[in-house]
Amino acid sequence: MPGRWRVLALVLAAVLLAGMVWTRLAYWQVVRHVDLAADAQAQYRELVELPALRGEVFDRNMKQLVVNTTVYSAFVSPDQVPDDQRARVALALSSVLGADAGKVNQTLASGKKFAYIARRFSKDKADKLRGMLLPGVGLEEEQQRAYLPGIAGSSLAANLLGFVNYDGQGQYGVESYYQKQLAGTAGYISSYRDLANREIVLGTHTHQDPVNGANLVLSLDSNVQYAAEQALADGVKKANAESGSVLIMDPSTGGIVAWADYPSYNANDFIHTDPSLFLDKISSSVYEPGSVMKVVTLSGAINAGAITPDMVINDPGYVYVGGYRIYDWDRRNHGNITFTYVLEHSLNVGAMKAMQAEGHANFYNYLQAFGLTRSSGIDVGAEDIVPPPSSAQMADSQFATTSFGQGVDVNMVQMLAAINVVANGGRYAPPHVVDRIGNSLNPVLLQPQRQVISLATANQMTAMMEQVVQHGSGWMSRVHGFELDEAGKTGTSQIPVAGKYTLDVWSSYVGFLPAKHPRFTMIVVMRKPHYPGSNEDWTLNDGYIVAAPVWQKIAQQIVVDWRITPDPR
Amino acid sequence: MPHAPATLVRRRRTRGFVQVAGAATAERLRLNRFGHAYMGLGAVLIAVLFYLALAAQVTQSSYQITQLQEQQRQLLAEQDQLRYQEVTLQAPATVEQQASQGGMQRVPPSKMVDYPAVAIDLQAPIGAPPTDQTPLWQRALAAIVNRLGVTRDALAATK
Repeated sequence: MPGRWRVLALVLAAVLLAGMVWTRLAYWQVVRHVDLAADAQAQYRELVELPALRGEVFDRNMKQLVVNTTVYSAFVSPDQVPDDQRARVALALSSVLGADAGKVNQTLASGKKFAYIARRFSKDKADKLRGMLLPGVGLEEEQQRAYLPGIAGSSLAANLLGFVNYDGQGQYGVESYYQKQLAGTAGYISSYRDLANREIVLGTHTHQDPVNGANLVLSLDSNVQYAAEQALADGVKKANAESGSVLIMDPSTGGIVAWADYPSYNANDFIHTDPSLFLDKISSSVYEPGSVMKVVTLSGAINAGAITPDMVINDPGYVYVGGYRIYDWDRRNHGNITFTYVLEHSLNVGAMKAMQAEGHANFYNYLQAFGLTRSSGIDVGAEDIVPPPSSAQMADSQFATTSFGQGVDVNMVQMLAAINVVANGGRYAPPHVVDRIGNSLNPVLLQPQRQVISLATANQMTAMMEQVVQHGSGWMSRVHGFELDEAGKTGTSQIPVAGKYTLDVWSSYVGFLPAKHPRFTMIVVMRKPHYPGSNEDWTLNDGYIVAAPVWQKIAQQIVVDWRITPDPR
Repeated sequence: MPHAPATLVRRRRTRGFVQVAGAATAERLRLNRFGHAYMGLGAVLIAVLFYLALAAQVTQSSYQITQLQEQQRQLLAEQDQLRYQEVTLQAPATVEQQASQGGMQRVPPSKMVDYPAVAIDLQAPIGAPPTDQTPLWQRALAAIVNRLGVTRDALAATK
């Protein structure tokens, strides 16, 4: 081969080799640039999330109901624990955290890279561990919600507030409904790390501040809430009831003052709680309200001009409607009576006659106006309603039974808001739990309240309900000093199972006080009470026996706490 | 118009202070080329040392800041803890517990606002309803039918 060709071949070979190198370089530096740059950044840069502080929750007197606390989790890196230190580490962890020393030893011998030893313990324990300088043991900080103690074993207003799970998500109640506002928006910090993985604070970094969650101010009064929980627990135990609930409302605003369920749970220990207890029975379960509904029926009929409180009707103790014979609770002939007497003695026939005098269409319109056919819109998670069928789909017998509160399903919030119309001069006050979100008022408070019945009708119904307390079934609810200034109504309704009514009942009592200028409206519902002696006489499970005394006890407490005085006469 | 002759302005180039001083020093020290190189190297070395000292200080400050941040976190955690204790101490349940431990009891109000005398006796039991005027045969028949359980009147128990 001539020398010229040899040179050319060498040049070509060199160009080829160089081309290969350049191609490879181009591949790494151009094609893979983005991936490699990201990998490199991942090694020396660190993106740390700056969690937003969850908003806190206060009651109407600015007493804190929920506090954010820091808790700690201990973890080990077994491969970083020297063999001769294992026993010491295991002993220390078990003595401080109460972990099983044998299991800790097993974990340490496993050669794993990471394992939790204990989760979410207090700062005291974390400080002890820190002081021991254990090799391969680390602590992780986490935020946790802490709720106030309530009655034995439960936290205050647990069913109303709900809780926040370990992922920071509000579950049930206010925590769930206001998750977005409470949670805020997390920020981040992007910084450099040195070889020992320590942060170089003064290095170049980008920083986005978190936006903390908004605080909530509830209409709740924590003292009244506690009194309600106590009285309810006593009442449920005394009546051998399956469960019970109390709901108290500010008549003029619709703000919830107390929201108590029994049995309840400890929101600080939700992880070890039977999940069935999380379900709030006030808004998430429906019941047949029974005779409490007569307040709605008679109010509508009076407002429509179909009846007056003094109008006399004949009540033979039963009435035929749509092929059914429907009785009064006592199955007795009451003769000629007024509608005031109907309410005092809770007579079904009178309620049905009022509904018939008013007409089906009017009656249904009033059900709608009192808010019993749609969700109350209460601001807690998961409100449950069972709206009645349309007016055209309802049979005569269903209209009849609905007039005295059977065959119709409502939740307690709907029912209390409906009765509160009478207490609030005929206006519907939208029920709500939160008064202020951050610095702004709950928009519900700024809406005008709609007039459901006239002020005159509301006053007439109030007078009738006063008679219930003074002469009728509400006598067990009389609060000392307010005997002539208190309005109420009992309710007892049989619980249907598989389409048939059983002897188990929902017993309730609703009322407001002082009657003329109400400061609160309260409803108490007991589920499946079995009052001592009720096997012989099931009327011992009635609302006036099991629910009214609970109402009285709580009302007495509110009168003292809020310094309520009777209206001058 | 006759063109005016351009005046030649010759500016004297002034030498800068550094040049003058440098030249004077070089003249006095009589540095050769190696001397210049050593001088340059020394200057660079001083600059590097200065930079390293500064970097070390920055790093040290950085670690101090990290330590202080950790301390701040601890203090905030302690503050949270104390706040929870404070709030818990004010909780109605705790107050009641403390009160009962101290021998205090909640006493129902013994005296209420005086009221004018009223015509009704609030302690009297509720009066009996009017007599049942349903014909006897109808009541007897209803009782038999009810006992047999063939009526559809389960709703009647509502009160």
